[in-house]
Amino acid sequence: MKVGLICQADDGLGACLELGAALQTAGAAVTLFTTAEPSSAHLRSLPVIPLAPLEAACSELLAGLDAAGVFLNGSEAASFRQVHTHTASLRQQQPRPLFSGPIRPLCGDALAADLLPRLGYDLLVLQGQAQRDELAWLLHGSPQQGQQQELLGLWCLPTQPIGFSTSAEPVVLVLDQLTIPPSPFAKGVLYQRLRTIAQENPHWQVRLQPDSPLCPARVDNPGNDGSETSLAWHHRQDGQPPANLQVGQADDLPMALIQASACLGIASDWLLTAMVWGKPTAVLGDYGIRTDFNGPLFFGSGAMHRLADCSPLDRLLELPRPNSDWLAARGWAISDGPQRLLRRLGELAR
Amino acid sequence: MSQRLLLIADSDSQLLACQALARSAGEQEVEIIVNAIPRPGTPTAVLAALGEIGPVWGFSLQQLLGNSRLDQFDAIGVYLTGSKLAEFRSLYHLTRRQQQRPTRPLFCGFNGVVLERFEEAIAWRLGYDLICLNGPRDQARLEMLLRHTPFSGQCSVLTGLGRNRPGTCSGASATERPLRLVFAEQVVMPDAPAERRRLLRILARLARRSPHWELVIKPRVAPHETTFHSVETHISHTLVETLGSPPANLRLSYAPLPQLLLESRLLATVSSTALFDALDLGCKPVVMDDFGLRQDLGTPFFAGSGLLQSLARVDDLDALAQGPDPDPDWLHWVGYHQDFSPGNLWRALGELSTSPVAPPHLQQSGYMVNAADLSSNQLRRGAEAAIRCGDHQEAVRLLEIAQLQRPDNRNIGRRLAALRCNNRWLRALALLVTPGFRP
Repeated sequence: MKVGLICQADDGLGACLELGAALQTAGAAVTLFTTAEPSSAHLRSLPVIPLAPLEAACSELLAGLDAAGVFLNGSEAASFRQVHTHTASLRQQQPRPLFSGPIRPLCGDALAADLLPRLGYDLLVLQGQAQRDELAWLLHGSPQQGQQQELLGLWCLPTQPIGFSTSAEPVVLVLDQLTIPPSPFAKGVLYQRLRTIAQENPHWQVRLQPDSPLCPARVDNPGNDGSETSLAWHHRQDGQPPANLQVGQADDLPMALIQASACLGIASDWLLTAMVWGKPTAVLGDYGIRTDFNGPLFFGSGAMHRLADCSPLDRLLELPRPNSDWLAARGWAISDGPQRLLRRLGELAR
Repeated sequence: MSQRLLLIADSDSQLLACQALARSAGEQEVEIIVNAIPRPGTPTAVLAALGEIGPVWGFSLQQLLGNSRLDQFDAIGVYLTGSKLAEFRSLYHLTRRQQQRPTRPLFCGFNGVVLERFEEAIAWRLGYDLICLNGPRDQARLEMLLRHTPFSGQCSVLTGLGRNRPGTCSGASATERPLRLVFAEQVVMPDAPAERRRLLRILARLARRSPHWELVIKPRVAPHETTFHSVETHISHTLVETLGSPPANLRLSYAPLPQLLLESRLLATVSSTALFDALDLGCKPVVMDDFGLRQDLGTPFFAGSGLLQSLARVDDLDALAQGPDPDPDWLHWVGYHQDFSPGNLWRALGELSTSPVAPPHLQQSGYMVNAADLSSNQLRRGAEAAIRCGDHQEAVRLLEIAQLQRPDNRNIGRRLAALRCNNRWLRALALLVTPGFRP
């Protein structure tokens, strides 16, 4: 089966590279359509046609595919489908089967906002039963309630560890998100709290790790330490930071997480990866369940803790595992996502 | 068995929710007193309408909590914004315990349809004896949120979206009413100034295409009034700015919405709960589809209603008036059905009085619930209690969380600095001179 994947933004590119590799392993021939620049390593693994999304939508090249996956954001995804359908109609051809879906582990309002522009695609690819239930709820009784969908599992997350052991000295990786909390002052208070924790736990390394998209596709990720709303910026302003409080490199996140003994964060998608990799994970609950802090996603995780309850840091190593039912419903229960997708695309192509 | 209930509310939206309950109680053996917490900008019309239904008190929260008359009620309904809801529940139980007085079941709910932030809203409401929801749609979402968590035992009851007592509809039949469409404006839907201007242009063109009709825009609040959302530019200003001189058959009206609905054939809205008032009052509703199904507009709620219409593309208001009626399955799903009414609440409260069901414990390892004393006010109050008991470690812990939430609050910082003084005499002095929490 010949499958095209269309994307533009960095995070879409990363997700497409993950999916493309998985589909290739499952026996499909995958072509990437993007004007973004993947790293040379990724280029070797996946053929790339340098076309912008809307150019791809009306390109004759799509006619050579069995199906195309469109991983653009919001209205761009809707525009792609409209342009492709219209172009095919003018050419008196059948449009290619199109599939699309969220490229992050979303839930609640964020999931609804992401899914609405994708309605009308031949197939929506979701992650787990929780998203399927939310879609059914959203479309209940509406003309779109017959929308076809398939569960692919946590396909957009890196879930395969690559064989590094944790470092000898315990390390807690603190995921540093630019927008959460959003103000420099709030970030400063959080930095001071983490600084105190580092001082009180000298046998631990506390690593402030700039957060990045789930599947960073490029190696030149600039990171975020130039912004006042990053913990790294506050670390730079600190005249005498504790020796065991360090800042990680932006493009280092997957490796740093693999080597970490525990992971701490507020709303990063990487927290799910940490849970899947079996790292002791604490989702900071001090800010409560706030929609703009991605709180609804982690509400049922069983991994929310107050920062004060994480110190001494040895406590992190004794944290209970996340709620397994919750993790399964997020998509961890699905292990044959690529095969499911190819099976459904085969049905659509017939 | 007759019941005596107290309803507590502050903003206009919450008072409207109480008004709907109070109206319904009139026909049952339920006596309701509403306490409208004094707040600047509360529309006087809302207070007046409440006064016509029954007694209205005007105590502040503090006055209420210390009031021995709370014992006269069989249950207390709380209709406040998120953090205040949790704070009331917590303080109510605390003061009752301190005064060694019995507690009554507490219930809370929502005013109208819940278009966004449902999970956050529930996180503030957990721990109430009963959470009132509109219908199966809300119940399904609550179940999705709470399944697999220690809070899955939270009790809820479906009280429906019928906001006006049956029989209120004393208006003329639809065909005898004036050719008038009421547009129920919402202050943030849409929010962007460009979209609000587009909305007005669409309405103006529709008015021009329908010269025999009158198109009345009902602003959510008058320019001097307030609602839950802040209003930067009142619709009256946007109207002048966008249209200059609007068509003669397009005007604003500040008359009470029920009155306008009784004298109109059509109601149009982007996503206002007024749609259900229109159904109650015999006015045909239409949902404006010109902005599409967008989460930020709340329009996905109406996806299955059968009422979506493009006001830009419809020929004229005659054509709009010929449109379909709401889908009955959708009405049932969202809670506009006789199965769902405040009667369910009265029954559930009666059952609670005979067979009490304890609400779920909110302090659970690995789970965070806003209602578990996580508002900054509750944290500060808890810290002061800890200081009074000499538990400075606990006070620091609570204030540190409060500081993460409110980093700009200097008093929290000062209090923390005082608590961190190592010298006990200095600490005592610092605690004396730094301001404690005063709500």
